[in-house]
Amino acid sequence: MNRVSLAFAFVVVAVTLLGPALAPYDPAAPVTAPWQASSVGHPLGGDVLGRDVLSRLLAGGRRLLVLSLVAAAAATLVGTLGGLAAGWGGSRVLAAGADLLLAVPVLLPALVLAVSLPGDAAVVAATVVAGAPLTLGVVRDATAGARERGYVRAARLRGERTLAVLLREVLPAVAGVPAADLGLRFVTALQLASALAVLGLTDAPATGDWAAMLRENLAGAALNPAALAAPALLLAMLSLSVAAAAHAGLRHAFGTGDAS
Amino acid sequence: MRLSAPAGLSRAVLAPLRAVVLLAVVSVAVFAATELLPGDAADAVGAGRASAAQLAGLRAERGLDRPGWERWASWASALLHGDAGRSLLTGRPVVDVIGGRLPATAVLAGSAFALTAPLVLLGCVLAGRRALRRPGDAGGGLATALTAVPQVVVAAALAALLSGVLRWVPPVSLLPPGGGPPDPSILVLPVLTLALPSAAFGVALLGGVVADALRRPYVTDALVRGVPAGRVLRRHVLPVLAAPALRVLAVVVGGLAAGGALVETVFGYAGAGELLVSSVAARDTPVVQLLGLGSATAVLAVLLLADLVPVRS
Repeated sequence: MNRVSLAFAFVVVAVTLLGPALAPYDPAAPVTAPWQASSVGHPLGGDVLGRDVLSRLLAGGRRLLVLSLVAAAAATLVGTLGGLAAGWGGSRVLAAGADLLLAVPVLLPALVLAVSLPGDAAVVAATVVAGAPLTLGVVRDATAGARERGYVRAARLRGERTLAVLLREVLPAVAGVPAADLGLRFVTALQLASALAVLGLTDAPATGDWAAMLRENLAGAALNPAALAAPALLLAMLSLSVAAAAHAGLRHAFGTGDAS
Repeated sequence: MRLSAPAGLSRAVLAPLRAVVLLAVVSVAVFAATELLPGDAADAVGAGRASAAQLAGLRAERGLDRPGWERWASWASALLHGDAGRSLLTGRPVVDVIGGRLPATAVLAGSAFALTAPLVLLGCVLAGRRALRRPGDAGGGLATALTAVPQVVVAAALAALLSGVLRWVPPVSLLPPGGGPPDPSILVLPVLTLALPSAAFGVALLGGVVADALRRPYVTDALVRGVPAGRVLRRHVLPVLAAPALRVLAVVVGGLAAGGALVETVFGYAGAGELLVSSVAARDTPVVQLLGLGSATAVLAVLLLADLVPVRS
């Protein structure tokens, strides 16, 4: 399961990077009737303005993927640094607010932030606000566990500075946790980025964007369902495969259960 | 929790206190996110056409030149007195603007909840049966996996299937212009889009707790001794589940509030969620503030209930 989902995530990423070069038509130019059903030249038919759906599908992943990666990396970085510090110091910060963070869905802070920030910045900010505390929690637990290991004690007794011990001894030992956690943050960011794109709060490029395609083609569901189903399928596969890989990675990093 | 001897008393005092503190924190966060970042209400009203002098006059008139904490304090105290200000867009009182949208949202959220609750129950029963039959298996993988799927994808897939391929329901859910009850067929897509991800989330959180509760030694002992399953469930399993179930309820309420914004906008259903999104797009800060705070309050209220229920471990 893990290998399959990783392979699928790899395929989606490869299509995203190479797709724009493979698109058979200009993804921004109308070449069919609006919402034309699939035909020989246009296997997935046309969209709301008669643009080729397959071309837009191939061109439309890059922005979402890059934005989600940036947001996930920011959240993981903040959470990992905080988790190292909290785990080393034995602090139990954030225990009181943890329920609230779990219960308040990420979309609400993202919408509130979108009042004063551009849509893309709101995605990054909300991913950090909602995700970094969760990363902090798991990294803190892993760090607290690594603290008393022999090599860490040895480094401390050698008189190395705390920062050096944390970065050179502890971080490599717990690195599997933030690496797997990055996947979960990516899924959150992708959900947020696609939600704000569907709500029209981000600037989608003229060449298309999988989430914006959902919004554009909803009203034509009866004329060309493929224009709606194809980007939905790609988004679902991407998020499912990354989440599955992240869960497997976390189980592996904490050594609990079988990495199915 | 680590509460000791007078646990019941301190819980009754501490839990509401904690909820009030969290509510204050949330109100600061909402206010800071909407007011203190660059681009204030004067910019929004001026829309780039007003001169610097007009903007300064507007800021002085609305008190935007005062320090942030002072503005938060006056906003919060006005809110406590029931005054949420006026919409920057229409000039109508925010409470009226939101109140007009609440019935439609109540119909949608109520129907979605009425579908979510039995689905979560069903999922938990299945998780429990699985735990009894295969004790070593963690389970819950499918529900956890499904929570990763973005809600917009659920919306698009349901619309492509139910309204595109099968043509059972309309792809947009416009309310009748004169008010009155909506046609049930327009509720199908928004209710399913809200309920299915919420149910998956609920099962992902609660299914594992149910499986753990059933694997406890005293439960297996009672079953082996031949105590009827119904009594084991009533006496040993359900009391353990009350507090976690209320926590999951809070998560589901939050999911319905946020999902409502998405689903109402996607399907063109004129409720409070659609109002939130259009107010964000129009930078109508007072409306966003009250809707954001209101949703957070609903979640906090259910969390408070969960805190007040005695925890049995």
